[in-house]
Amino acid sequence: MSEKLIEVNNVTYVYEPDEEGAPGYTALSNVSTHIDKGEFVAVLGHNGSGKSTLAKLLNAIYEPTEGTVSVKGIVADTEEKGDEVRRIVGMVFQNPDNQIVATIVEDDVAFGPENLGVEPSEIRRRVDEALKSVNMYEMREREPHRLSGGQKQRVAIAGVLAMQTECIVLDEPTAMLDPMGRSEVMKTVCRLNEELGITVVLITHFMEEAVLADRVIVMDNGRIIDEGTPAEIFSKADFLRSHGLDVPQSTELCRLVGIDGCVLSVGEAVEKIASLIGGAAG
Amino acid sequence: MSNAIEVKNLTYYYSEGTPNQVAAIKNVNLAIEKGTMVGIIGHTGSGKSTLISHFNGLLKPAEGNVFVDGEDIWQSKETLRGSRFKVGLCFQYPEYQLFEETVFADISFGPKNMKLSPEEVRERVLEAAEFTGLRKEMLDKSPFDLSGGEKRRAAIAGVMAMKPQTLVFDEPAAGLDPSGRKELIKLIQNYREKTGCTVVIVSHSMEDIARVAERVIVVNDGEIAADGTVDEVYSHSDELRKMGLNVPEITQIFSKLHDMGYDVPGNVYSVEKGAEIILNLIGRGCR
Amino acid sequence: MVRDITFGQYYPGKSVLHRMDPRMKLAATFGMIIVIFICKSFPALGLMTLFTLVAALLSTVPLKMILKSIKPVLIILIFTAVLNVFYSKGGQTYFSWWKIEVTEKGVNTAVFTVIRIIALVVLSSLLTYTTTPTMLTDALERLLSPLKVFHIKVHTLAMMMTLALRFIPTLIEEIDRIMNAQKARGADLETGGILQRAKALIPIFIPLMVSSFRRAYELALAMTCRCYTGGEGRTRMKQMKLAGRDIACLVICLIVLAGVITLNIFFKKVI
Repeated sequence: MSEKLIEVNNVTYVYEPDEEGAPGYTALSNVSTHIDKGEFVAVLGHNGSGKSTLAKLLNAIYEPTEGTVSVKGIVADTEEKGDEVRRIVGMVFQNPDNQIVATIVEDDVAFGPENLGVEPSEIRRRVDEALKSVNMYEMREREPHRLSGGQKQRVAIAGVLAMQTECIVLDEPTAMLDPMGRSEVMKTVCRLNEELGITVVLITHFMEEAVLADRVIVMDNGRIIDEGTPAEIFSKADFLRSHGLDVPQSTELCRLVGIDGCVLSVGEAVEKIASLIGGAAG
Repeated sequence: MSNAIEVKNLTYYYSEGTPNQVAAIKNVNLAIEKGTMVGIIGHTGSGKSTLISHFNGLLKPAEGNVFVDGEDIWQSKETLRGSRFKVGLCFQYPEYQLFEETVFADISFGPKNMKLSPEEVRERVLEAAEFTGLRKEMLDKSPFDLSGGEKRRAAIAGVMAMKPQTLVFDEPAAGLDPSGRKELIKLIQNYREKTGCTVVIVSHSMEDIARVAERVIVVNDGEIAADGTVDEVYSHSDELRKMGLNVPEITQIFSKLHDMGYDVPGNVYSVEKGAEIILNLIGRGCR
Repeated sequence: MVRDITFGQYYPGKSVLHRMDPRMKLAATFGMIIVIFICKSFPALGLMTLFTLVAALLSTVPLKMILKSIKPVLIILIFTAVLNVFYSKGGQTYFSWWKIEVTEKGVNTAVFTVIRIIALVVLSSLLTYTTTPTMLTDALERLLSPLKVFHIKVHTLAMMMTLALRFIPTLIEEIDRIMNAQKARGADLETGGILQRAKALIPIFIPLMVSSFRRAYELALAMTCRCYTGGEGRTRMKQMKLAGRDIACLVICLIVLAGVITLNIFFKKVI
């Protein structure tokens, strides 16, 4: 039986209008979902669909206007409980520059555990381990501004790992990266989930990334409009397109040539099409 | 007819004159004909952004010449300034350049710098706004109150309002979701069809480039690694991948099938085309 | 490329000075600068100069780099020298013309002051050559932490310094980007009078402010997410420990201090 790590119950979140007259709006309305321990969940939606707001509710940066978010039974209604939640759920943001605090890579990774009051020798151990698991150990003495975007994001991930949180929420971690950086980060994320058993919530608008998840939550207009395995979700091409999304090219090609089931990767597509052509020829 | 942009033996160094001197552009020769739609691809650090910064004289070549509309832009102050208005450069995340109190004022920054009459400025702003799909009531708003997508379009309108002969976009769709990407690419396509101007799109998305460009230039390590039609360039998908580019899934599939000996072309870059080829193939097989 | 910007003037190395506890380095530099001003006689100053020379040799920083640090104060040096030569009067007169008189005292004070300033500059640049800005900030935080008693937020100040060091290269890159974007729209930053040029900076300044506020907000969020709640209850990964070399440095500094005081007593005061 899978254990529920985060439970989101009927959550509504309203951005208050500010003094300068920018109107307030409802970013999330009556959202309910849950994240299981060890799961890899992708939250898919176009810009402004409410997915980033949901992410910020998961580790108590925002407090729901209505409804509750509980992490291992903790509802963050006070600041102390908010900190408790953030010890369980870590977060990586979109802009790699704006989340690195220190002037040296390893000092930055140490920042979280230092805040938690961990013993110095233990911090050293965690920092080295975290840097190794994101393949940045060799660069531990570099200055962050000399790193590429993908490397900076990996440092940010290591920073969360060193806090030993059970869950890591990544809010569009690849949106500002180039293809190489994107694949570096995604490989790292997958490894965290598979090898270290860390629960991953990936907020994204890239279909190719959502495909890698165990479960996909599709959002539009502040609501969850669909939820299921990647195969279930990506078999609904028209539905996704009507919500400003798309399906991976491999999936689309296989659908167009009439291959049954939902194909999600290049390798699988090649295989299926090869046998289709081969079968037809033979 | 002279070329829209021509670059002759261009070399450029980072940190020139210091021990850290690195060649960013190495003896590049390039001509972009008027009215064409050219895509430049290359990974981060390949030198593609450095290259386009030479097109309007933001960077001065260490060696070689840059010609805009047949004129050497470094000839005099006037030609240099002229090149800024002939070649409109729209950088990555252009929304971060917005600064005026209203969207209208921001779009008119470029035309005003061209010393146009107020009527002419107004006309151009309205035209550019219409083109980029900014509604009239948005023009009186503060640019900082717009949504992300609207900000991007306002910034692009600011460059379009200068009516440059050549428009260069650096990663115009960066950070946008799939529908936003498509809309923006369409916008650029429409603009070009209507004005007939030369367009250069710099991107590492081979997918977007394939959709619009007539000619693709691949920049790698400060040099031009390939130059040709989309069909020609995309048939080398393996080499492109080695240069750190992300070859579209569809191209990967077809290049693999091609390598496996199936009778399919290796340079397919649109899903519809790919499906058509396969359906034809199995249709023929059944017959 | 902008990425190559280095802050401070750290010169990487593995010398004794590099490996010393930054707290000791900071305290010793500060202390020895005071000792420079205690020196009143040439032999005392000579001892101090010797100390500075030995420190410079131990640092393994090339002489050229050290001389480079004196360059910015060259004008001050010349100015002080000239001033002292002409205004301190006394002793034997070496040279006299019209109202200008060069005396023994004048020359002595000039030489004395110049050596003092050079020693001061060299010592403080040795500190920055052998210590990274981060380590300096850390050392400063730890040395000043007793000030907490007076409700001075030492940790907050140090954190601000670290963040400033971290973000300066990012902001320089950003300025570069915004400048290029506005230049591409025909912004003219090079010509015109002061007023015109100041006005031309608005299109750069405003986007920079907007983006800095955004960065600050995002950074604050990121820090909250990493359970930052201020200095209370924080530990540090890098512990600073006084080693033998630090004690040795302390002892040497004390000996030099004692020597300077003694030499001041036994020899003629210059100043």
